[in-house]
Amino acid sequence: MLKQSAPILLGLFLLLVSQQTYAQERIEVSGSVTSGGNLSGSLPFINVLVKDSNRGTTTDFDGNYTISVDTDAILVFSYVGFKTKEVPVDGQTGINVVLEEDTAELDEVVVTGYSSQEKKSITGAISTVTADDLEKTHGGSTVSSGLAGTIPGVSFRMPDGRPGASASIQIRNMGNPLYVIDGIQQDQGQFNNLSPNDIASITVLKDASAAIYGVRAANGVVVVTTKRGKKGTRSTVNINAYTGWQNWTSFPSVVNDSYQYQLGVVEAQVNETGTSTISPEELEKYRIGTENGYQSFDWKDFIIKKNAPLTNINVAATGGSENINYYLSFTQLSQQAVLGDEWTFKRSNIQSNVDANITDNLQVGVQINGRIERRSNPGIPGADDYFLPRFAILRNRPFERPYANDNPEYLADIGHNETNWGLHNFKVGGYAQTDWRVLQTNFSAEYNIPFVDGLKIKGMYSYYIADRVTDGHEYTYDAFTYDAENDTYNRTGGSTNPWRERGTQKIIKNTYQGQINYKQSFGDHTVEALGIVERYDTRDFGTFVHSVPETNTLPLIYFPEIDTYNDYDNEEARIGYILRLNYNYKDKYYLEFSGRRDASWKFDPSKRVGYFPGGSAGWRITEEPFVQNLLGNESLLNNFKLRVSYGELGDDDLGDILGPYDYLTGYNYNQGSPAIFNDDAVVPARDKGQIVNNISWLKSKIFDIGADMYLFDNKLSATFDYFYRKRTGLPQAKYDVLVPSELGYGLPLENLSSDAQYGFEGALAYADKIGELSYNVSGNASVSRSKFLNSYKPRWNNSWDHYRSSGENRYNTIFWGLETIGQFQSEEQIADYEIDNDGEGNRTMLPGDLIYNDLNGDGRIDGYDEKPIGYNNFNPLVNFGFSLNLNYKHFDFTATFSGATGFSWNQNYETRWAYQNNGALNKIFLDRWRHADPYDASSEWLPGKYPPLRYNKGGHNSYRNSDFWLHNVWYLKSRTLELGYTMSKELLNKVNIQKCRFYINTNNLFRFDNLSQYGVDPEVAADNGLEYPQNSFVNLGVNLSL
Amino acid sequence: MKIHIYIYLLLVTGILISCSSDSEFLDRPPSNILTQSQVFNDPDIVLAVVADLYNRYNDFGTITNWPSIADFNVAFWSEAGQYGHFEDGGWGYGSWATWDYGYIRELNLFLQRLEESTELDEGVKSRFAAEGRFLRASYYFELVKRMGGVPLILEPLTYDFSGDPIYLRYPRAKESEIYDFVISEAEAIKDMLPADAGTKGRATKAAALAMEARAALYAGSIAKYGATTPQVSLSGGEVGIPVAMAPGYYNTALTAAQAIINGDAGNYALYTKITGDLSTNFASLFYDKSNNQEVIFVEDFKLKSGKVHGFTQVNQPRFNAEEEEGGRINPSLNLVESFETLDGQYAPLPIRDASGNLIEYEQADGLFAGRDARLEGTVIVPGSLFKGRPVDIFGGLQLADGSIVSGDSRGQEKQVPGSGDSQVQVVGFDGPIDRLEFTAQTGFYIRKYQDPKAGSGERGTGSDVWFVRYRYAEVLLNAAEAAFELGQPAVAAEYMNQVRSRAGITVPLTAGDVTFAKIVHERYVEFAFEGLYFFDLKRWRLADKVFDGVPISPEEITQNIGSPTKRETQVYGLYPYKIYNPGAAGNGYFTYRIVKPSAVTGADRFQLGNYYSEIGQGILNNNPLLVRNPNQ
Repeated sequence: MLKQSAPILLGLFLLLVSQQTYAQERIEVSGSVTSGGNLSGSLPFINVLVKDSNRGTTTDFDGNYTISVDTDAILVFSYVGFKTKEVPVDGQTGINVVLEEDTAELDEVVVTGYSSQEKKSITGAISTVTADDLEKTHGGSTVSSGLAGTIPGVSFRMPDGRPGASASIQIRNMGNPLYVIDGIQQDQGQFNNLSPNDIASITVLKDASAAIYGVRAANGVVVVTTKRGKKGTRSTVNINAYTGWQNWTSFPSVVNDSYQYQLGVVEAQVNETGTSTISPEELEKYRIGTENGYQSFDWKDFIIKKNAPLTNINVAATGGSENINYYLSFTQLSQQAVLGDEWTFKRSNIQSNVDANITDNLQVGVQINGRIERRSNPGIPGADDYFLPRFAILRNRPFERPYANDNPEYLADIGHNETNWGLHNFKVGGYAQTDWRVLQTNFSAEYNIPFVDGLKIKGMYSYYIADRVTDGHEYTYDAFTYDAENDTYNRTGGSTNPWRERGTQKIIKNTYQGQINYKQSFGDHTVEALGIVERYDTRDFGTFVHSVPETNTLPLIYFPEIDTYNDYDNEEARIGYILRLNYNYKDKYYLEFSGRRDASWKFDPSKRVGYFPGGSAGWRITEEPFVQNLLGNESLLNNFKLRVSYGELGDDDLGDILGPYDYLTGYNYNQGSPAIFNDDAVVPARDKGQIVNNISWLKSKIFDIGADMYLFDNKLSATFDYFYRKRTGLPQAKYDVLVPSELGYGLPLENLSSDAQYGFEGALAYADKIGELSYNVSGNASVSRSKFLNSYKPRWNNSWDHYRSSGENRYNTIFWGLETIGQFQSEEQIADYEIDNDGEGNRTMLPGDLIYNDLNGDGRIDGYDEKPIGYNNFNPLVNFGFSLNLNYKHFDFTATFSGATGFSWNQNYETRWAYQNNGALNKIFLDRWRHADPYDASSEWLPGKYPPLRYNKGGHNSYRNSDFWLHNVWYLKSRTLELGYTMSKELLNKVNIQKCRFYINTNNLFRFDNLSQYGVDPEVAADNGLEYPQNSFVNLGVNLSL
Repeated sequence: MKIHIYIYLLLVTGILISCSSDSEFLDRPPSNILTQSQVFNDPDIVLAVVADLYNRYNDFGTITNWPSIADFNVAFWSEAGQYGHFEDGGWGYGSWATWDYGYIRELNLFLQRLEESTELDEGVKSRFAAEGRFLRASYYFELVKRMGGVPLILEPLTYDFSGDPIYLRYPRAKESEIYDFVISEAEAIKDMLPADAGTKGRATKAAALAMEARAALYAGSIAKYGATTPQVSLSGGEVGIPVAMAPGYYNTALTAAQAIINGDAGNYALYTKITGDLSTNFASLFYDKSNNQEVIFVEDFKLKSGKVHGFTQVNQPRFNAEEEEGGRINPSLNLVESFETLDGQYAPLPIRDASGNLIEYEQADGLFAGRDARLEGTVIVPGSLFKGRPVDIFGGLQLADGSIVSGDSRGQEKQVPGSGDSQVQVVGFDGPIDRLEFTAQTGFYIRKYQDPKAGSGERGTGSDVWFVRYRYAEVLLNAAEAAFELGQPAVAAEYMNQVRSRAGITVPLTAGDVTFAKIVHERYVEFAFEGLYFFDLKRWRLADKVFDGVPISPEEITQNIGSPTKRETQVYGLYPYKIYNPGAAGNGYFTYRIVKPSAVTGADRFQLGNYYSEIGQGILNNNPLLVRNPNQ
């Protein structure tokens, strides 16, 4: 078994490390590097590498370097933003170099599947975000929360902004992507909780270039690389710290005036029955609002604290000698919710990346990534402790108050005490805490085989352990009613139910990887071949315990109080064999082929293996002599590359449709709750049912055609892509053979139906200088939509069923509803109206109620009049973003914006009908149709936006799904706005500081959209806007290099 | 050359990675799956399979799904999301349908595999087999009650993937054939099962006989009363039983019931442990698990076992409840009015005196004194106790001038005339508050099946009160009905009097008193909230008369009590009002008014097509031999 080979690998690694290096005859070369462009002067931190080796150094502050090399070596000078230059040593000991600026960054190295490539040679649809972009985004505590609008083709949606929350990102709306961090397949949680400071780059593989990741790559791959030290650089300590203040971007507002609330109740009652149970005298008491029980209370203001802090400090040390380079980093982040200082997220990260040359040809590395996350907040009833405080704002009525007789010692019995904010704290309510402790270590060794030029082998072993502990305790509590007559507080409510729970989970992953790589140029021909063997397994096991403790105070769980104990243990295993071949002729024609053979434990042994081929080609037209002749010396079009790719990707995640052991017969033990026989609890076992053994991967075929170009002296860069992904083999049961239901089981699922996802995306960037002002602007946009293609022999009951239920060759995510054609303006209009608008002869209709279009013309409104009115998806079909960077002397300024459209928000529940669930009244309903005299049903109607009120009557005809309530959303949000100031080097050099920069930064500061009037953030998913919204941030920070 | 060492080492590494076989690496044994042979060679594991089959027993009404036992206007549902049920006008044809042939297949597989197993002791095997057959017959009984005759499949079917499934098509059996099957299975297995009154959670001889008696009684009454609705039948007999078969079924029912009554199946009797308080005695029979002689077959629960339910949690009186919820089932005034006086008379609750004035009661429960003990055993009335504390139900204050002041939150306080500057409570902490969920919107809470144990109302603890599927009182009333239909009213009277005297009714019925109406009424009050009422109305073909779609007037509530065709299309309630007249005589007394919860706007109509549930279109498509149910 391979599991046992892990220690052997480790032993090998140590053996390798312990070997001594050996030396060779060398000469000392030194010189200076200067810039040849507009920013002339010496260039510090330039990489100086010995070609085809792992050795190198960087220039110092004054642009000087020294390196010892073989006499026939070639030195490679490179830095981001400059053209790479190669200089043969030829025995010289002094080499001065002038580097040309390169705005096109064609030689920039991009990490792709299992290796890295120069940007100019890339033939897939690949986008990258670098550390520079990430460092300026402070939009939350997770990596994904900072990615809005930064990557073309990546949709972003963050419906929940609580401390520690993540955004949902999807590549081309294809579903959840695969994450690969430093070469290891990982989950979303690991990606999100890296320290953004430690990330060198995030690369997104959007097309067949993902095929090399095989079975889990069907939805694209996010490849993350952490920072590494550079060989031969002096040690630098970087300190990045910022602190910020968060406020909710938006949340529904409710009427916090008891009079307005009760006036609405009177109107609702009069509208429904003609009379009200609230007398005018009583209503007047609410208007005056001084008497006990008739006052007003602002729950939203009571619950929401302003300017919740978030602080982050990162200290990283990096550098390297000639043979060892390192990056060591520690980050501490702490975030509070706007609900107060008991609602927190804290995270500590370490990253330790060390590489060592043991000989000229042998390099070993260790990467350690670890973190501790803690989410802590009051524990209150319900699954999500962040829900009730928000719900309280929509639920609690303005004449209800949190404390009996306003005495904070006594929680008031408001009749629905779970939404009483006075309960939502550690003292009265309880606590809930989740800790993650995660450690990942990667060991790698790379060997350049000396007799074959360009041949390398590499081995890697990774061990990952994640440990989760959740602890929760909801206390018993009392709620009181104040008896003024006797000045006593009587317990009239509360809970005697103590809820104590603890869950533990451990996830252990092993990854074993062996690589062989060959790269060689033969004149104009360059070939590269890569072969990989990869095995990875996961074990996920844990327990959950629930008890009913006798006391609120002690933290331990005792056996006699336990009533639930759950245990689980699941394993996964996958194997991949990978081959990739690249061919490049004169950097003009590129060809790539990749193939992968994957096997997954999930399928029947005979169906485990899948093959995932992919290929791509690129043509740099501007390298063709005839094109160069045509363009002449004009630098109008500097570079134009056409690329096309096609590949098949796999997915073994068929959701709930296929479980790991569905191919086995037998009995599932512990199915459901036990049966009690004579007071004994018997664990039940159930036949697994018909096996599913004829299903395998679903196949995802991605075609992509795109172009990358640089124009106007490389100042303008542009890239465009069109893509089409077709998935076949989606699970479906055949039903051309109708098997009687009395058989007792349905036909098993097979790989039968298909769908498609397609669209296009593009990005533009322009960079230039005006005097000392350098600037660049960039923008990107993408459209991606999914369509169901074909199911296996579909059947319909009738033509309407076909129209309504068919998905065949139709866009997914259609929202069906009625079309409104106006609102009734008068009672006469209702009396004369010939179409039965409410199915009850219009007897429930009042002026202001919605009039629906009788689409089928049958004289009555019903479900047959529904038509597509919007989308039922939350991930936007259209995403766009743009950014601006300015640098002027010591100042820098960054602004990024992102937006989206092509999704809908369905205004519903509290935001659709008044007094939903006897709760508070949403402020939007102040603008409503009403009688001039609320008590007089025959008084004149005054128009408003919303239909006249009814009391908690969600079933009313005006509240059917219609385009009155469904909003097709668009938004444009300001994401990062940052102004930075860098202190001058002259000053800093005296105190031995390399760099010092201060900045003020904001995120989500303002937005334009069409949902603001409802008090909801356009990214919410909940129909009533009840999610924890995103925050706007104002941050102050410093970057310091010592 | 040291270099070579590295090459070798790295090569070894590569080989290591690829040497252990791929399939070995990919085989990850599951942690919770047993093979068939592991199961059927070990009686303890067979019991685990049996446990699952019992867990899937299909109850029409059950305490784990609270609305299911409180449907058909015997109660209002005080939960905001449920009001729609009282606004619409009846039920769809698909209501109550069941067609779980997956369960039948597993029962058939179980019986087949059990038969094939060689390691099990014959005695053990025989009991397991009888239990499998009992559960299978029970589900066919459930099917026939709801759907009429269904395909009778007694072997596990397998599709051969030939593309031709015609051999799998079975037509619907006659309705009578399914009843005959249930009866014959009960007869066949009754002696394979233990005759042990101490076993409640597994099938016993008494459970088999009780099922047989109930099934035969249902079949007999469908044969007899089906004649009054000839439209509710199909020519192939899939729905409808010839009237001539009625006496045979009644005979079977009587014989089976009498076998239990005579003690052939164990020591069963009516529950009479608590002598001082007959209402509590009646309530207690549902939660007292210790040597309970009345209960025959249950779904059992146990604290701290993973099998508890939240019936008390969702239905406990809301005020000072153990959890911030409760109060969902609010029994209707219609039901409350139908409980007789202790001398066995039908009489409306005395709300007004002869001259039409409201009668003032000193205690909130004073109005309900002198009634059939089952009333307060089934219903929590205003002023009665739950878990030792009084239930605070009053709808408002009745002021000196007769006007009413009320509030819209529980226990609300207001200044009222006479209270001076201080405030007084104007509405009960338990309601009733119209349209406020979890309060007693009819003025009543349910008592039957509520668990008096501390903690039973908590989400974290729950209740282990069992759900009773068969009990001795039903056996008696089944026997009484069968005897009555067979022309033995004296026998019927004897059985009914046992049940009625246990409820405290002092005047016994004579043979001449026993009528069809009396039997209908007795079952209504005895079995309220037990899931039997609906099938009684169906088999007597009364449902379309009781639910005729016509709204009920407030006057009607107090009329025709005890009539089998009394209209039940809407739920009514009764609100107590507290007299507020400080210093005056009668201050703090209660008066009562009949109200209709405002959410009750529809009036239920039971259509002839509702008598047998619609067979889903997909099921019909899959098997062309199936005929539709009538009137749909």
